[in-house]
Order: sequence, then structure tokens, then C-alpha cells
Amino acid sequence: MTTVSDQPTSASSTVGRRRSTTEIEQDTPQWRKVLTSDPAARVTSLLAFVLFWVVVSALFDRVPGPVAVWTSLVDEFSRGEVFGNFGSTLYRFGVGVALATVVGVAVGVLMGLSQLSRAFLESPVLVALSIPAIIWAFLTVMWFGFGDTGPIITTFLTSVPFVIVNVAQGVRGVSRDLRDMSATYDVPMGRRVRDLVLPAVTGYIAAGVRFAIIIGWNGVLLAEWFGGGGGVGYRARFWYDANRYAGFAAWVVLFVGFIVLLDRFVLDKAIQRSFRWRDAR
Amino acid sequence: MAVLTVTNLSKTFNLGTARESRILDDISFEVSGQTFVSIVGPSGCGKSTLLNIISGVEEHTSGDITLTSDAGGPARMGYVFQDPRLLPWRSVMKNMMYVQDDQSRDTVARAERYLDMVGLKKNADFYPGQLSGGMQQRVGIARAFAVEPDLLLMDEPFSHLDAITARGLREQLQDIWAQSKKTVVFVTHDVVEAVELSDRIIVLQPGGLIYEDITIDLPRPRRQSDKAVATLQADVLARLETLKAMAAAEPVAEPVA
Repeated sequence: MTTVSDQPTSASSTVGRRRSTTEIEQDTPQWRKVLTSDPAARVTSLLAFVLFWVVVSALFDRVPGPVAVWTSLVDEFSRGEVFGNFGSTLYRFGVGVALATVVGVAVGVLMGLSQLSRAFLESPVLVALSIPAIIWAFLTVMWFGFGDTGPIITTFLTSVPFVIVNVAQGVRGVSRDLRDMSATYDVPMGRRVRDLVLPAVTGYIAAGVRFAIIIGWNGVLLAEWFGGGGGVGYRARFWYDANRYAGFAAWVVLFVGFIVLLDRFVLDKAIQRSFRWRDAR
Repeated sequence: MAVLTVTNLSKTFNLGTARESRILDDISFEVSGQTFVSIVGPSGCGKSTLLNIISGVEEHTSGDITLTSDAGGPARMGYVFQDPRLLPWRSVMKNMMYVQDDQSRDTVARAERYLDMVGLKKNADFYPGQLSGGMQQRVGIARAFAVEPDLLLMDEPFSHLDAITARGLREQLQDIWAQSKKTVVFVTHDVVEAVELSDRIIVLQPGGLIYEDITIDLPRPRRQSDKAVATLQADVLARLETLKAMAAAEPVAEPVA
């Protein structure tokens, strides 16, 4: 049997009261606010990784530690190898990813809007998705030899299917209600793509470009590794062949660092800007 | 003046295994220019399907729909949906312009004029998410009028709003309509709303047949507090009750093979 009483118990008078957010804010010590902030989490994550790296390098001879890698990087700078090689890779990578983004968004929108295009392109895109970057790297070296074209095409071919798949998926998810509204008012197709489809799939485009960057950098590195002609991949292979793993790792760390900074300070900001309507409340 | 003619219109949905469900059954009616017509009837009688077919969003199985305009050229349609259907990433003004044929200065001025008529000119730069549901629906109404349609379709545009907001918008709609005199086909399940707004009420019955076609000859503007309006509302409601009783006695026919 359940007894209902209107007499407050001692427990309900202390446990039952919920504090306001202002009270919680006032009662939280400053050190705790700093330690539980986002920047603190990021710094802690970075420090944890460096610590892990130090430990692993101390345990295994063939893993160069952060200090050795840093020293190799400084040496490469002083030899004047960094700007030329890094610039070449950046150019090839940038052109390849930009092409993949433009072509991927166009094809993805087409596949998302047209059933016939989807039926026609679905299988080739699936095949392209399953071909690893190393295969494209070999093929483009055979087709285009040394120089910029091979790495650019490899970057493009490895990354474009990911942009296409993401964007096509996004376009298929565009609100049916808004598409019907546009059809009812006979809105021209160009305006529908610009004002309805592209803003609706911004998140999917961003995800596609992120994939393109991650996959594309594998492609450019492998093409330079096998194709020579300078670049980050070429220098990484130079040190690898010389059995100097610190030199090899220095180039990888340099490019990975660049990708992380690109993601955080360019892509993230661009995404925030394109979603500013969500924050306007 | 635009004239909408619906002739022997039928719509069936294929349910698979050689079965189909009939939503509209050989209905015919005509809406002449500058008339406000409401389509009422119980849920599932095909009101919204009829509107979607007229707008071209849905295909019809048989019959004919024509919309003729004195102005010549293709007839223009406006549509106010149950929900506002605004692009959330575009400002109110850009939403107004999204559906316009041309983007000239005159069109911008016209869009501003209709925004002003619904009291939202000062909110032109706001995103839809910054407006209340009622304000968003007012943008939807302004957008539909701003295309200067030959025919304006409205699908229960006030059904998602609270009673007070809906009443305010109904009064606003009457004022705008009195100025623009567009041909309107208005779907609602609310008889009170239909009587207040319409020149004519077409009552659909389950199975997609026209049960009754009622002409309303009351002076405008009408308010719910008007005695004549209240009397007619009671009368139409009584007729709908009879229809409901009939429908209950004779359940909707099973899908035909």
C-alpha cells in the first residue's frame, strides 16, 4: 500500500531542491572551470599523445622520438629542402582536392536529383571507392610519368568518390516539403540548386571535403613516393631508403600538422560561417 | 480573371496485389475568378490530395484540370501550406524572392508591400528561426500573394496555430484578399473558418465525392461575432454532422480490386 503525505521529509527538503544555473556557475571554483574547458581538453589530448610517443620511442629502437623528429625537421629546414618540396606537394594536393570538390559536388547533386543519373553512375562510383590510393598512384605514374600531373590525378581520383557519395546522400535527404514548395512555385532549377539544395547539403559537402583531404593526402604522398619529382612523399621516401626513420617521420608529421591546422582554422571556420543561420535565434 | 475547371477528376492509389484505394471519385466543379472557395469534409476525404493535384505536386489518375487566365501566358499559382515551408538558411526577404519569376526592383517592392500588409516589413532581414510560428505562417501567406497568382491554393494554413493567432491571421487574410481579389481554393476541416472566409463551400464526403456545394452570400468583412455568420456556421455544421452520421452508417468502401 502506498501512503501519500503532505508532510515534507528531511530528505525531500535537502535533496529535492534543484539549483539554478547561476548558482551552479557561482559555486564552481575557477580552477575547475579551466580544467573542464574545451581548450584544456585539446591541450591534454595533445600532451597525452606526445607522452605516448615518448614512451613508445623509448621502448622501440625503430620508433624515432619527438626530439629526434624535431631535430631532423630543423635540419631539413637548414638544408633548404622544406619550402620547395612542401610547396610542390601543397600545390598538387590543393589542385587535386579542389577538383575533387567541384566535380564531386556537381556529380553528387546530379545523382541526388536524378534517378536516371543515379542508376547510371552508382556502379562506377562504387568501383572507384573500392580502388585503393596505391593502385591509382601506380597507374598515374605509368600514365603520366614524373611531374605534377600524376600526384594531382591520384589525389583527385582517390578523393572524388567520397565527395560524390556524401553529397548524393545529402541531396536525397533534402526536405520533401521544401522540394514540393519549389515545384509548386515553379522555381527555376538553377535557383533551387543554389538556394535549396546546396545550403541543405552543406554538412554533407563538409564531410565529403574532410574525407577528400584525408584520403587525398594519402594519394599525393603515394604518387610522390613512387613517382619521384620532389615533394613530401619523395623526401619521406629518401629518408626511408636511407634507413633514417626520424627524417621520414619529420615529413609525415609536418604534413599531418598542416592537415590538422587546415581542418581547424579553415574548414571549421567555413562550416561555422555557413551554419550561422542556425545560431540566429 | 482566372477560372479553374475540374472535370471528372479521379485519383486512386495502387495498394499492390491488384488492389487500389480511390481517394477522389469523378468529381467536377468550376471556380470562377475572384472567388474564395473552401473545400471541407472529414479527415481522409481527399481535400489535400485534391489541392496537391491542382498544384501539380501529385498526378491524377483520370479527368481534366484547366486553369485559364485572361492575361494570357501560363497561369501562375501560389500555395500556402499547413506549415510555412520557408528556407531556414535564407532571410525572410530572400524567401519572398525565392519564388518570384523575376528579381527586378518592382518585384522586390511588391514583396515588401505584401510583407508590410502582414506586418513583417521590419523583419525582412530575419531568419525564419528568429520568428514565431504565427509570424512564419504570415511570411508564407505574404509569399503566396506576392507572386500575384492567378490561383491561390491554401491547405489548412491555420491548423498548426493557436486559436488567437489563427483568428488574427484569418482577419488579416480577409483584408488582403479584399484588396487583391485573387481566386482562392482553401482547404480546411474547420467549418467556422470556411464560413467566415468563403463565397462558396464545397463539402467532400469520404470516398472522394462532392456531397454539397453551398453558396455563401453574406457581407464582408465577416467576424465570428456576426449573428448571420454564426447562424450559417451552425447550419453548415449540422449538415456536416448528417454527413458524418451517414459515413458512420455506411463505412467507406473497401479498396476496389
